[in-house]
Amino acid sequence: MNQCYGCNTCQSADKPLEAYIAGLPMETSHHRVESQSTKCAFGLQGVCCRLCSNGPCRITPESPRGICGANADTIVTRNLLRAVASGSGCYIHVVENTALNVRNTARAKGEIKGVNTLNRLAALFSIEEADVHKRAEAVADAVLKDLYLPEYEKMALTEKLAYAPRYDKWKGLGILPGGAKSEVFHGVVKCSTNLNSDPVNMLLDCLKLGISTGIYGLVLTNLLNDVVLGEPEIRLAPVGLRVIDPDYINIMITGHQHSMFTFLQNRLTDEDVKEKAKKAGAKGFKLVGCTCVGQYLQLRGAHYTEIFDGHAGNNYTSEAILATGGIDAVISEFNCTLPGIEPICDQLKIRQICIDNVAKKANAELKEFDFENRPAVTDEIIDEVVAAYQARRGSVPMNLLTDHGNANTLTGVSETSLKQFLGGSWQPLIDLIVAGDIKGVAGVVGCSNLTAGGHDVLTVDLVKELIARDIIVLTAGCSSGGIENCGLMTPEAARYAGPKLRAVCEKLGIPPVLNFGPCLAIGRLEIVATELAEALKVDLPQLPLVLSAAQWLEEQALADGCYGLALGLPLHLGLPPFVTGSKVAVQVLTEDMKTLTGGQVIINSDAKESADILEKIILEKRQGLNI
Amino acid sequence: MKRILIEYEKCDGCKNCSAACMQAHRKTPGTIYDLDLTDPENESRNRILKDADGHYKPLFCRHCDDPECVKSCMSGALHKDPESGHVFYDETRCGSCFMCVMNCPFGVLKPDTVTKTKVIKCDFCADAGGDPSCVKSCPKKAIHVEEV
Repeated sequence: MNQCYGCNTCQSADKPLEAYIAGLPMETSHHRVESQSTKCAFGLQGVCCRLCSNGPCRITPESPRGICGANADTIVTRNLLRAVASGSGCYIHVVENTALNVRNTARAKGEIKGVNTLNRLAALFSIEEADVHKRAEAVADAVLKDLYLPEYEKMALTEKLAYAPRYDKWKGLGILPGGAKSEVFHGVVKCSTNLNSDPVNMLLDCLKLGISTGIYGLVLTNLLNDVVLGEPEIRLAPVGLRVIDPDYINIMITGHQHSMFTFLQNRLTDEDVKEKAKKAGAKGFKLVGCTCVGQYLQLRGAHYTEIFDGHAGNNYTSEAILATGGIDAVISEFNCTLPGIEPICDQLKIRQICIDNVAKKANAELKEFDFENRPAVTDEIIDEVVAAYQARRGSVPMNLLTDHGNANTLTGVSETSLKQFLGGSWQPLIDLIVAGDIKGVAGVVGCSNLTAGGHDVLTVDLVKELIARDIIVLTAGCSSGGIENCGLMTPEAARYAGPKLRAVCEKLGIPPVLNFGPCLAIGRLEIVATELAEALKVDLPQLPLVLSAAQWLEEQALADGCYGLALGLPLHLGLPPFVTGSKVAVQVLTEDMKTLTGGQVIINSDAKESADILEKIILEKRQGLNI
Repeated sequence: MKRILIEYEKCDGCKNCSAACMQAHRKTPGTIYDLDLTDPENESRNRILKDADGHYKPLFCRHCDDPECVKSCMSGALHKDPESGHVFYDETRCGSCFMCVMNCPFGVLKPDTVTKTKVIKCDFCADAGGDPSCVKSCPKKAIHVEEV
């Protein structure tokens, strides 16, 4: 066993994982980085256009315009808007399903675990319903109503949810979004063949999509899920491949929609279902966290201690999780479910079940989540998982990595649990920032990719650089998965922090990197930032706060990034988002944005240089606040 | 000597070799991301043509055994390096007569677009250790270096 399959795997910040993957007897994404290392220069710069049959056209010194006459600026911004609209569509799909789950649960008089969050939303939306279920339904309806508005009607909740100075800024720029679904439609129309050619006009649309993505897709998805699934509670939990216990029937979950697992995760701990597992020879069922939905479950882990053992890893750890042999089924509902897991699932007889049509995998069975028929569909899924367990165990070799990750990652951090931890007010944090014990705050968010130095390499190196400079790091997304498996979210990681931040962490018993969970929780970081700004009576761009999506991967991340820019925050990216072929796009994103919203894009793939730039910005912002 | 050998049938016409050549010979420092693809000063020493049947014909300097360009150069700007076998161009000695352009049997040499005072000529990426950037950038491995 354990023959070297290729010995050409990419680097990972997680060295035990890197060694494990290099020794696997199967191909993973980490093996394919080398053979895909030759990149098309025109694609990298975003100056390849294939919007019509005259194309693909590429910009060169001899051919500075496409056949239609589009120049580099038009081609680049059209491509960017297309990506942002698509990314926004993904998040809006998630919030739509989440709101539907709240509404359906409320109508069925189901359990409302997060009454506090429900009340918070009801108060914000001016909903006064005495009955908790009616209140939840009204909240969900208010969100759905906005999502379904036409593009020419502004969404009503934006003003209630956005920080007032930001709302005014957006209004002034004319970028208040209409119905979130219609905005996606508007965006894709705008960048189709021979329609818009104005780069600045399209970049403003990117910002508008950023706002609808951020407030609805991110902020509201978190809060609506808290209503049904429970509010995050701070606790220590195990992470990494160690969480896989082969004595159980293990289901790896991938995607972004925790709401879709509401019924299943409860059903798996019912006595009659546990009995099925025992009959098959297992102790019961376990959900193994992977990608953002795993982060979501980890965040709310305090409510699900029986069914959920922990988060095993991020998107590019998924193949390794499967390769352990300990996983019997994958239930997926969204990205980042890599197509590359399919041959591995075939090889290891792992059953793939997909519960959302939008993310149907080639060799998965589609068992669409159906609220009405959830008991029957869920039981069918459970029976198939049990059958997979029986068919594969004993015949598939185990290749566990039981000491991977760590046993005590701090999790369950949210805007409410963190404030509670601080004694019910942000003042202690503000005092620490003012005193300089915490120099500033960096949100290191977004995905993991394999090309910015390797798997999580830039993210982890950047985080180490930032905390060493006494900058506290808050994370959300697959970045969290990599950083936690590397141990930076354990209280012991305080030793990597600069002397001042280290003292703060040791006093409070917390790590210098706080995990807010999935990428959706970028919305929670925004709430924290807004509440800090409110307390200080300043606007968001004045805060000593920076964002980094160091290893952004996908279109959703670009929509997130546009939200960050609309909020007026400096946004660092490790790799450019295919825009550098356009001088206008580069100028607007990296310079002019400062006067438009207060934000700016910083592109740098070196951890130390990036940290220097971000630290400098934080120091400037501190100076601006006279602290 | 080392030569770039071409397997026409593998070429996709992606022009990545041309972009890599521009990057290798740009005057300003930077990465492939910020290479100005609209600046006519960034010129590629190679080109991809398409024949009447629609097949791509990548065009690279052959560093010929008996180079017509060298033979026709009156000012001594072009010379064949006896050690490496490569044909090098010294811009400072060029009289801009473009006889080399006229005589190149493959049509690969050309005057520079902006000033029309010098010749755009492959140097086998001598500054980068003689490992041609175009070859490294070809996703189809349609070009490779061989000792001939």
